[in-house]
Amino acid sequence: MSAGLGVSAVVVVVVAAILIGAFGLRLSRTTSDFYVASRSVSPLWNASAIGGEYLSAASFLGIAGLILAYGADMLWLPVGWTGGYLVLLVLVSAPLRRSGAYTLPDFAEARLESMAVRRMASVLVVLIGWLYLMPQFQSAGLVLRTITGGPAWVGGLLVAVVVAVNVLSGGMRSITFVQAFQYWLKLTALALPVVFLLFAWHGHGKPGLGRDAPPVFTDPVTVTVSTEVSVRVERPVEVTVSGQVDGRAARGERITLRPGPHTIAADTTVGFPAGAPVPHIESLPVLTDHEWALPLHGREHPLYATYSLILATFLGTMGLPHVLVRFYTNPDGRAARRTTLVVLTLLGAFYLLPAIYGALGRLYTPELLMTGRTDAVVLTLPGRLVGGTAGELLGALVTAGAFAAFLSTSSGLAVSVAGVIGQDILRGGVRSFRAATLLAVTVPLALAMAARSLAVADVVGLAFAVAASSFCPLLVLGIWWRRLSAAGAMAGLLTGGGLASVAVIAVITGGPYTGWTGALLAQPAAWTVPISFTVMIVVSLLTPGGVPLGVARTMVRLHAPETLNVNRGDWRPRSS
Amino acid sequence: MTTRQDESSEYERVQAGPEFQELRRRYRNWAFPVTVGFLVWYLLYVVLSGWARGFMGTQVFGNVNVALIFGFLQFVSTFLIAWAYARHADKKLDPLSDKLRGEMEGTSNE
Repeated sequence: MSAGLGVSAVVVVVVAAILIGAFGLRLSRTTSDFYVASRSVSPLWNASAIGGEYLSAASFLGIAGLILAYGADMLWLPVGWTGGYLVLLVLVSAPLRRSGAYTLPDFAEARLESMAVRRMASVLVVLIGWLYLMPQFQSAGLVLRTITGGPAWVGGLLVAVVVAVNVLSGGMRSITFVQAFQYWLKLTALALPVVFLLFAWHGHGKPGLGRDAPPVFTDPVTVTVSTEVSVRVERPVEVTVSGQVDGRAARGERITLRPGPHTIAADTTVGFPAGAPVPHIESLPVLTDHEWALPLHGREHPLYATYSLILATFLGTMGLPHVLVRFYTNPDGRAARRTTLVVLTLLGAFYLLPAIYGALGRLYTPELLMTGRTDAVVLTLPGRLVGGTAGELLGALVTAGAFAAFLSTSSGLAVSVAGVIGQDILRGGVRSFRAATLLAVTVPLALAMAARSLAVADVVGLAFAVAASSFCPLLVLGIWWRRLSAAGAMAGLLTGGGLASVAVIAVITGGPYTGWTGALLAQPAAWTVPISFTVMIVVSLLTPGGVPLGVARTMVRLHAPETLNVNRGDWRPRSS
Repeated sequence: MTTRQDESSEYERVQAGPEFQELRRRYRNWAFPVTVGFLVWYLLYVVLSGWARGFMGTQVFGNVNVALIFGFLQFVSTFLIAWAYARHADKKLDPLSDKLRGEMEGTSNE
């Protein structure tokens, strides 16, 4: 893709976001205030808005990358991210709507009548938000580097600044219409290129993924490595090298790479002949096409990893700060259910696309398995398969979609995180909110620059794991179990959230880990969720005196239908 | 403290009422088994992948094997369950809560 078109696509999206933010302030004050007027919005618009905010860099770029690298197992990510909404709908959404609590800390305080639990919930919201923001910034860096070759921090900084400006000006996020538009932009940006890609694939005689061997370069190809990688070569291959391989400098000489590990230095180009097997970066498994298409092959201890992924995604969705609040934009329970149905349809339609990108990537951009930048597959394919101006335009469209994904998700998250920091951790008020916004954006930006490069969908998966092992037990037990005590909730949040966070920190800062350690740390949910539930239940049973006095009243409020005209009390968070 | 307890007992009465209990029962009797059911259905996929590899690897057409079709069905089933829930709530839960409201409004002045 030419840098010019890609950059213009980014500029257009960024300028649009800033303009909408600036004008949105006026709009949101007059016509479409988030909590009030949007109640008159139809389920389709509302559902589009939910989808627009939910589909982040992980969905737009990450899933396709993981499917390219690990195969069918990774289909669980989209299934889980959709299924999480189902669990949220059936178990949590209706009682939570009735509770009158707009955020997770609000719910914690209303149900347990404890400021300590509220503060703990606030800290967890901030942690989860940061963890979710970090990969958005990293991906922005990846996108800008893919189109311009510039340094990776530029993209992250750009998105962080735009988000901070937007949040501070108070626009963007509050407008249902804008978020809804973002969904349709992202869907178009993935779906339109797919049509062209599939035509091109058809034109090539529909090559399949049925070989019983790992991928090969079908044409002679020159691969440029931007950061140092260590790759494994399976069969001896003669390559042309400009740069440095295994510490030996070369200027266009032909070198034979023997089987085994080889280190390729940054900014080295390696030319491969047609038919050469693709050397894989050491962190990725070498899979034959058959293994790739079958579940339980991709990662170490795949059975455990899959179960853990299912738990994290199904139970984690309900604990994401930017998801719950959208359920208040429906006038009643019936509309909320309709909205969820439409959301599931929209997410399902969207999530079929990354699978196609992943599979085509294995055929046409296998060099990403060597550079390890599998997250770039969505950006690389249009230029590779559809030549000429059409390819460049499609590439620009995908880039625009990716930036829309970063901006919409990051804005929603930054508002949630800044709100919690400003209200619960700083003193509240306008000045605190400004400081909080800066904190909400700079911490994950610093993390994004410091952390080692991980697959974007993996990091977002970790955020889901933390949410599943802290807020899921709090919500499920809080709504369905009268005997939950403040001490029990506190202990469960501390243990579950704490253990999951430790695993996350270990993965982001250290590693890579192998064997069972690696599997348990990379997918912590399967052990942290049961521990969190157990601790919450056991400690609650040990401290029956800590069950809040108003529990009967809270339970009626949670479970009496909205149409039932009982005095449900008008609970307001004490801190606001 | 005393007012709080009074309030609680009033809510205890509402909660102990047979129709409110029936409403909760209907909701729970649907939601909990269905949640267990769909989790089992998702986990079945994993179990089959682990212990019925031959079956999952069977090519149905082209390069599409049983595992991929199963994966697609997971999307479809997610949607179907949500649709079933919406129908259940519209048909079984909402009429009862409307009736409950009618009776409460008929007997009390609220």
